[in-house]
Amino acid sequence: MLNRQKLLHSVITLVAVLCLTSNSFSQNTIIQNTHIRGFIDALVNYQKGKTSFGFGEQDLFITSELHDRISFLGETVFKFTAGTPTEFSVSIERVVIKYNYYGNHNILLGKHHTPINYWNDTYHHGRVFFPTIERPLLFAANFIPLHTTGVDMQGQNLGKLRFGYDLMVGNGIGSEEISDNDNYKSVTAAVHIKPFDKLRIGASYYNDIISPGSDLHGRTINWKVKQQLFTGSIAYFGPKFEALAEGTMAQDKSDTTGTQHSTAAYIYGGYKITEKWVPYFRLDNLQYGDGEIYFVKDNTTSIVGGLRYQINYLAVVKFEYQHTNTQRNGKFDKFTFQFAIGF
Amino acid sequence: MGMLAGLLFMQGLATRAQPVQQDITLTAICNSRGAPAEMKMSELKSVLMGEKQRWSDGTKVVIAMVKSTTPLGEIISKRIYSMSGDGVRGFWAGISFAGKYDPPNVFNTVTELETFVAQNPGAIAIIDKPIGNDVRVISIDGKKSF
Repeated sequence: MLNRQKLLHSVITLVAVLCLTSNSFSQNTIIQNTHIRGFIDALVNYQKGKTSFGFGEQDLFITSELHDRISFLGETVFKFTAGTPTEFSVSIERVVIKYNYYGNHNILLGKHHTPINYWNDTYHHGRVFFPTIERPLLFAANFIPLHTTGVDMQGQNLGKLRFGYDLMVGNGIGSEEISDNDNYKSVTAAVHIKPFDKLRIGASYYNDIISPGSDLHGRTINWKVKQQLFTGSIAYFGPKFEALAEGTMAQDKSDTTGTQHSTAAYIYGGYKITEKWVPYFRLDNLQYGDGEIYFVKDNTTSIVGGLRYQINYLAVVKFEYQHTNTQRNGKFDKFTFQFAIGF
Repeated sequence: MGMLAGLLFMQGLATRAQPVQQDITLTAICNSRGAPAEMKMSELKSVLMGEKQRWSDGTKVVIAMVKSTTPLGEIISKRIYSMSGDGVRGFWAGISFAGKYDPPNVFNTVTELETFVAQNPGAIAIIDKPIGNDVRVISIDGKKSF
C-alpha cells in the first residue's frame, strides 16, 4: 500500500526537478503537430441460425506534439450501450500527457492502457490493426485491468536488446476516472526486450488490493481481494509468419476463500500468403480456481480460424469462424465478417 | 462466393503497379544540430524506425520523409524499412497510435523535405538528389551515399 499524499508529492517534486534540470521549457521551440484520426468497423455475423448486421466502436483518436518534450494522446470511443436513453455512450479510453525527460525515458500522466501484455500495450480500440476480429477472450472476461489512471515511468529501445520498461502507479481496480475509491494503489511493473526485428518478449507483474464495494464493470464485489497478476508474452510479426502468445496467472487472496489461482492464455498464428492475404488462427483458454470469487467463473476454450485481407493500411476485411465452449452456456459457433477502417 | 468475388474486386482496387528503381543512390541528410556526422546503416535504420527519441546532444530526433506513395518513398520504404510504402504507413500508424512515437513529418517533394530539415534542429531525412548548403550529409558506413 502506498500513502496517497506522499505519492502525489513525490510525483509533483519529480516533475518539477526534471523540468528545472533539463531547462527545456526555455530552450526549445514550441511546436504543435496535431493528428486526428477515426476508426470504425462494420460487422455481419451468423450465429444460431440468425444473421445480424452491426457496427463496433467508433474511435476518435488524437495525437499532438505540443512542445519539444511534451506530447498528448487522446482516445475517445462512442459505442452501443444498452439501457442508456440513446443506447450509446461516450467513453474516454485514454488521455495521456507524455513528458520526455531524457533520451528514451518518459513520464506519462493520465489514463493509460495498462502495459500488462503485448496486445493491451500495442493495439488501441480501432479494429483495423487487430490481427483478429476481436480481442482475445481474456479481455472480454475482464481478466486483466485494461486501463489505469495514474503515472507511468517508461523507457523504450534501450541498449542492444532494445530493452523497455514501464513502472506504473495508478488508482487501481474499482476506482473512478477522477478519484480513487480507496487508499490502495495499483502497481504495474513491465519489461520487454526486442532482440531481433519484429520479435518482442515481455513479462509483467501487477499488484492491487480491491476494496469491498468496488464496481467491476457493473458487478460489485463484496470482499476485499488482494490481487497479483503475472504475465508473460512473446510476439513476432515478421514478413511471412505472425505469432503472438500471452498468458496471465492471477492470484486472488481473500479472507473467505484464501488464495485462488486462475489462468488466461491465448496463442495466435498467421501466415502471409502474400503481403495482403493472411490466414490465421487463435486459441483461447480461461481456467478459474474452484473457489474463485473475484472473477465470474466460466471456464472457456475457444478456437478461431480466419482469413484477413489488407486492402491498405487503413482498410482491412476479415472473415472468421469461432467455436467456443463455455462452462456456463455450453458450446456455440459463430461466423463473422468484419470491414474495419481508419479515416 | 459473392464474398470472395468482393474481396478480389477490392484487391484489384488496391493493387497499383509502382515502378521501383533499386539502383538509385540515397543520401542521409540532417539539420546542423542533432545527428552525428557518421552513422552505421543499422543505426540509421534504428533511428528511422523511431527507436531513438533524442540525439546525444539532447536535441529531439525529428524524422522527415517524402510520402511513401511517391517513387522515391517506395524505394526508401524497401531499402530502409524492408516494407512496401503501404507497409511503412501502417507501421507508423501502429506505433504512433499506440503512443510509442510521434508520427513522422511527411512531404510531397524533396525540396520541401530539405527545407524542413534545414529549419528544424534534430531533423533527419533520406533524399536522392544533390543537396543545398543548408543541410549536412551523414556518412553511412563511411560513405556519403548508399
